[in-house]
Formats: sequence, structure tokens, C-alpha cells
Amino acid sequence: MISSKVKERAGCVIFTVAAVICVIAVIAIFVFMLIRGIPALGKIGFFDFLFGDKWSPDRLDTFETETLSGSYGIFKMIVGTLLATVGALAIGGTLGFFTAVFLAFYCPKKLKKVFSSMINLLAGIPSVVYGFFGIVFLLPLLANFAPNNGSGLLATSIILGIMILPTVVSLSKTSLEAVPRTYYEGALALGASHSRAVFGTMVKASRSGIFASLVLGIGRALGETMAVVMVAGNSVAYPDGLFGSFRVLTANIVMEMGYAGEVQQGALVATGVVLLFFVLIVNLIFGAISKRAIACGVNGKGFISKAFNKIFKRKEDRKENKQPGAFKSKLIKIKNKIGEVKDGVKYKINSSKIGAGFAIGSGILSASALLLVIGFIFVQGAPYLFTHPNLLFGEYQFNSEEITILPSIITTLMTVLLSLVIAVPIGICTAIFLNEYAQKNNIFVRLIRGAIDVLSGVPSIVYGLFGMLTFVVIIKGTSTILAGSLTVSIMLLPTIVRSTEESLKSVMDSLREGSLALGAGKMRTIFKVVLPSALPGILSAIILSMGRVISESAPFIYTMGSVISAMPSGYLDSNATLAVALYRLAGEGWYVNEAYATAVVLIVLVLGLNLLAEFIAGRLNKRLKGV
Amino acid sequence: MKNKLNQEYKQNISVKDANLWYGDFQALKGVCMEVPEKQVTAFIGPSGCGKSTFLKCFNRMNDLVPGCRIEGDFKIGDIDVYGKIDVNELRKNVGMVFQKPNPFPMSVYDNIAYGPRTFGITKRALLDEIVETSLKASAMWEELKDRLNKSALGLSGGQQQRLCIARALAVKPKILLMDEPTSALDPISTGKIEELCDELKKDMTIVIVTHNMQQATRISDKTGFFLLGELIEFGNTDDIFYDPKDERTERYITGRFG
Ligand SMILES: Nc1ncnc2c1ncn2[C@@H]1O[C@H](COP(=O)(O)OP(=O)(O)OP(=O)(O)O)[C@@H](O)[C@H]1O
Ligand SMILES: [Mg+2]
Repeated sequence: MISSKVKERAGCVIFTVAAVICVIAVIAIFVFMLIRGIPALGKIGFFDFLFGDKWSPDRLDTFETETLSGSYGIFKMIVGTLLATVGALAIGGTLGFFTAVFLAFYCPKKLKKVFSSMINLLAGIPSVVYGFFGIVFLLPLLANFAPNNGSGLLATSIILGIMILPTVVSLSKTSLEAVPRTYYEGALALGASHSRAVFGTMVKASRSGIFASLVLGIGRALGETMAVVMVAGNSVAYPDGLFGSFRVLTANIVMEMGYAGEVQQGALVATGVVLLFFVLIVNLIFGAISKRAIACGVNGKGFISKAFNKIFKRKEDRKENKQPGAFKSKLIKIKNKIGEVKDGVKYKINSSKIGAGFAIGSGILSASALLLVIGFIFVQGAPYLFTHPNLLFGEYQFNSEEITILPSIITTLMTVLLSLVIAVPIGICTAIFLNEYAQKNNIFVRLIRGAIDVLSGVPSIVYGLFGMLTFVVIIKGTSTILAGSLTVSIMLLPTIVRSTEESLKSVMDSLREGSLALGAGKMRTIFKVVLPSALPGILSAIILSMGRVISESAPFIYTMGSVISAMPSGYLDSNATLAVALYRLAGEGWYVNEAYATAVVLIVLVLGLNLLAEFIAGRLNKRLKGV
Repeated sequence: MKNKLNQEYKQNISVKDANLWYGDFQALKGVCMEVPEKQVTAFIGPSGCGKSTFLKCFNRMNDLVPGCRIEGDFKIGDIDVYGKIDVNELRKNVGMVFQKPNPFPMSVYDNIAYGPRTFGITKRALLDEIVETSLKASAMWEELKDRLNKSALGLSGGQQQRLCIARALAVKPKILLMDEPTSALDPISTGKIEELCDELKKDMTIVIVTHNMQQATRISDKTGFFLLGELIEFGNTDDIFYDPKDERTERYITGRFG
């Protein structure tokens, strides 16, 4: 009995500690960024930094030198970042919106699942693979119309557009599907066609949700690094037309951090702070909108159902009055009120038909984006894998004749292993603390939730910066697999915490009560009843996290190394993960075939894990339901 | 302290001046009651009058509700329920069956063995025996003996509920609390559970909340009528139903019987 009490106490302490670690991680990231960024800002001058349009750092500038000989203005890059985001939104947002409409209302039931999971898979493809695809497919294609090799604003917008597509689609689709079906039926009852019911009523009713999905897409686009670096051109300039070369904030960090001088490094960290600031704003907007979306759902319901009630009443009136003409004019008036018909019936019908066309077209286009990216890379890369098995399994080589990526594969696996070992227990314990122990509106709990929200929005390159300034310095002074794994494990925390919490929430309280009522303690209840029920969700979060580690590259370049080296002998060695290796190989132009093959390996791994996650969750769910 | 932990739980419950608040809302007002041992006591009353709340005071399930405040004397035998006791030990002795069947998502066997394992029983032979006796006690052995290793979630609603009773019986409680155990079940399953109550009261005290008055008359020895957090009348079931002292009890009963 006594020992069980000790266990309870110990459990509570462990869960709390885990939650505290999450908070500390966030605070540490912010504090370090500020500590390293502010002196540089002071030296450069706040306004000169933000609004100066000349960026030509001098490596020799230190904080001791009286005057700076380099210039550190990031305005051009701020503009570049914003333009790239707008471009991504124009392409990915539009396509995503119409695709969501397609999936929700036009897609035949049988195909819906296939289409949805194809678009979800887009989210799993590593950003270096997108960048590589941009280099080998998109740029040559665009070069036909461009004065240059095709890189620049347009290419960046297209690649980023594809990358934010799954985010926009999945959230928009959810909110479209959340609109009560009665709205749709009501609109049909008014004589609206399918398309008009969809675009006039359903889309309108879920517009806050759709808007929120676009904001989330913006967040994703702002923080993206590697794919952009590979296709943007990266000269510090205002993009001069669709094919003008430009540089975004994230690219600035990743391109110069490796050889930065003292003030320059500070300026790069400050660039990261600016980036964080943007992302935080986007997060806040997203939070505000999704709150409103929920509120609107309620109000909208009242409003629209009231409107429909009125209409049906009038229909009955008509039966009594037998005055069809009068009814028709009334009906149009009501329609006007709902805001469906503003410019006359005919025009509306046409525009919604066009909308339907767009929806179907977008759906097909989005799905083919996946097929194109994967198909193109496979066709180019897979045969090479078979003809050159040495690439995968050979003794370590790295010369103009032959290279092997086996060390990178091993490095990747080591990183996956260590980062999961660190992040999974902390993440799960934090989620348990939040869901099972904490009281709802406690300040500490709100702090942790806020911390996790913030963590999830932090761009991966900022994690990389943080890791470089802390773990690298503390551990060995140079990049190590250990430092990289630690860095990426912080990055995994928010996903693991959130999805674990979701799955814990979905476990019914009656099970907890049942266990407690039998005299079981809280720990036993959690470990024997709650966690097993939540297992499918937790497992798939873990598997997706593996995929995430494999896909990431920005956090690793300066923490873990970017050179494919000999087989690592331990966590204190430096090496490149597969994704980083692909970045290197793609950039060098010498090893195109090897790059294709590496991309194939990456895609197979990541998509395999995605499918596995889906499969396992499905299987376990079935088992839990007792079938 | 140690003495208290090992104290033998008796089977009668005695409550004096129970008041309970959920935040500012007072859900129980000055309830006094003597629940006799080895009998079936039923709580009736309109929805929201505090029956479940009162029931949950006996095994301190209300501890889980944030903002819940309890005053008054709750005694089982002479153990003070809200004194310095081991709550888990209390809940072992005071079992509970809920309105909706809540089997754990594991096998029938593991469901029943859950309680004993909680209290440190790990020997397979002993567990086997407990599972068998519990299932026999809840009249399910014949039905389930061939599917002990199947998931409990595959059972019908009525079977699930009886499994939950068996699960509660497996820790050999002295008192069994049941909160509308049959409200989600069909008449046949309901009948089986009522028979079970009759059988079980030979060994334990049963307190049951029900919305079904015929059920109360069929199975209970004592009945308490609650209204808006107050215990209006408490006494022998026959007296309550055929000779109620309070006009409100009569109105409720006739209204519902009619
Ligand atoms: N967790 C809670 N927080 C706040 N108020 C509660 C809570 N649980 C119950 N109440 C309130 O306490 C009162 C009594 O609730 P209780 O569940 O005990 O009623 P009941 O008699 O069991 O009703 P029913 O027959 O519907 O089950 C109700 O007004 C209810 O709204
Ligand atoms: Mg109740």
C-alpha cells in the first residue's frame, strides 16, 4: 500500500517535470535568441537592421570595433519573404481551397479516400525533395520562358504553393464538412442547384475555417527554408519580376550562418527573431480566427436556420394563398437576404458552375502534383539504385567516381532513435500532465499550452540556430549527431504532446471512473486503461515523428554537419542525414544520379512511415473496438 | 494510520447532515440516512435531484469533480469515509456500477482480473478462480466461459453491464453501489440484473439509483425519495410506495405510476 502511494507521488512529479521541461525549452529558445540577437541589433541599430536595404556583412566586424564596415539591413529579405508567401498563397491557397471543396462535395465517395490520402502524403514529402524537384523539373521547365535558369519568385511560389497545399486542404475540408447538412438541403429546397448550394451556402458558412486554413498555410510558407533556398536564386535583391532572384529570411540564416563573423552571426540570429515575430503574429491571428470560427458556427446556425424557417413558413403561406407569382418574388427577396443572390439569378448560376469546374480541376491537379513529384523522381532515380547497389550498401567512398550514402542512412537512423528516446517520453508525460492531472484553467497549464503552441510554430531553421548556439557549443564545439538529435527532439515535442493529448481526450471518462471505482490509483488507471486506449493515436504520432526527423534538414546543417563522412562511430561524430545529403548532392551538380537515388530512398522511407502510421492506427482501433 | 488502513469495513452506511456544493450550487441539503446492511436500498426522485451525487459520496467519486465541497458525516460501520483513510481501499470495499456499461478495452478475463491485480494478486491460478467465481456470481459463467480471451467490447450491452458487475464483485466489496444500472438495457437484461441483486444481497449491501419505480418495488427493501437535493422520505419500500407520509412523495409516485 505504501509503495503504491510512493508510486502515485513519483508519477505526479515526473509528469510535472516533463511539462516544466517543455516550458523551459520554449523560454530557452526565446532567451537565447534574444541574448544573441539584441547586442547585434544594438550595434547595427534597430531601424538600420529592419529597414536598411543593404546587406553586405563583413566577417571582421566585431562588437569591439568602433564602426561597422559591413551593412546589415534585412529589408529586402523581409519583402522577399512576404512576396514569396503571397505567391505561395495565391497558388497553394487557391488550389487548396478548391481542392477542399472538391473533396467535400464533388468527389465520388469511392475516390475520396484515395484523393485525401494522396494529398496528405504531400505533407510528408521532405522539403529538400521539393527543392530538388524544383531544381530538376520545375526550373528547366520555367527556363523555357525565363531569361534565366527559371529560378526566382515564380518557382518559389509554385514549390511553396504545393507545400502548403495539404495544410490548406485538410483544414478547409474539415470545416466544410462540419457545416450541418441541413443547410445544403435547405438551399436545394429553395431551388438552388448543387453547385449553388455548395458555393452560396456551404462555403459561406465555413468561411472562417477556410480563412484559418489559409493563415496556417501562411505560417508554413514563412518558415520554410530548404526548398526555397534551392529555387529562389538567393541574391539579396527585390525580386525583379517573376523570375527575379531574391532571398528570404530563412535562406539568409542557412546560407551565411556557417561562416559568419561575430556581428554577422548576431544579425542572423536577429533575423531569426524577426522570423519568430512573424510566425507569432500568424499564430495569434490563427488563434483568433479559429475561435471566431467556432463562435460563428453557433451564430451562423441560428441565423441561417431562422432564415430557412421563414422560407418554409412562406411556402405554407403560398399553399394557402395559392399565389405562386407573389411567392416567387418573396422567395427572391429572401434569397437576397441570405446573401445568396445579389446580382441576378443567371449570373450566379454561371459563376457557381465555373466554381464547380475549378473545384474538380483543382482536385485533379492537386492529386497529380503528388504523382508528378513522386513519379518523376522515381523514374529518374529508381533504376540507378538497382544498377548501383554500391550507393546504398558499398564501403564508404566519396569521390568523383563513386559515393555511398550508407553512412547517411545510419546517421539518420541514429538521429531518429535518439530524438525519439528523448522526445517521446517527455511529450507523452507532458500530455498526461495536461490531460490527467492539471486543472483546466490553471495559469501554469495555460502557460504550458501556450508554450507548446509557440513551439509548434517556430520555423525549423530557428531550431537549427538555437541548437548551434547551445548544444553544439556545450557538447563539443563542433557539430555532432548528439547535438542534432537534441535539437530535433525539441522540435518534435509539440506534435507529440498535441496528438497524445488528443488521443487521451478521446478516451471516455467512464473508463477512468470505472478503474478508479475499483480502487485502482491514478497511475494504474493511466497506464493500464487510459494509455492503452489512446495507443493508436500515440503510436501514429510517434511514427509520423520518425518521418519528420527523416525529412528535416534545416535544423541539422549546423548542428550535426552537412558533409557525408565515413560511417559514424558514435553520437559525438559529425555526419549528414539523408535529407542533408540530398541537399548537398543536389547543390553540387556533379552527382545528379546519386541525388535522384537518394531522393527515392527518402521518399520511400517517409511515405512508408506515413502509410504505416495510418495502417497501425486503423488496426489498433479495430482491435480496441473489439472486432 | 496503519491500523486504519487495515480496518475491517462493515456493511452499513450512516450519513448525518450531508451537504454538498458544486461550486456555488448546493446539490445536497442536510441529508441524513441509515443504510442497513445486506439489504437493497433504492434512491428515487426526479432527474437532477441529487441521487447520483449522494451515491458517489459513499465511495468518494466526487473527489474527482473540481469545485465539489462536502460537509457532514459519512460512516461505513465506524470508519469515517472522509477521514484519513486510503481512498483506494475504500473503493475496493465499496464497489460501483455505472449507468452506461464501461468495460475496459481488454479481454473479458483481464477486465475481471483488473481489480484483483490492482491489489497485488498475480498468481494465475488464484486469478482464474476469482474470475470464475465472479462470473458465476453474476450469472455469466455459462455464457462467457468460452470467450474469456475475447475483447469485452464485443459483448452485448446487457452482457457488458453484467460483466461490469462481475468486475466489481471480483474485489469482494462489502457494499455495491449501482447508478441506474439498467437504464440502458432491454427488459430481459434488466430482469437478469434484478435477479442478480436479489442473489447478491445475501452477502453485501446494495444501494441502487433507479428511475424505474416498478424496479424499486421489485428489488428494494428500503427506498429514499429525493427532491431538489433533499431527502424527503426514507423508509421501508412498501411504506414509501403504499403509505407515503409526505405529500410530495405521494404526488411523485402516483404521477409516475399512473
Ligand atoms: N460535476 C458537476 N458539476 C456541477 N453540477 C453538477 C455536477 N454533477 C451534478 N451536478 C448538478 O447537481 C444536481 C444533482 O445531480 P445528480 O447527477 O446527482 O442528479 P440525479 O438525481 O442523479 O439525476 P439523474 O436522475 O438525471 O441522474 C443537478 O442539478 C446537476 O446539474
Ligand atoms: Mg444520476
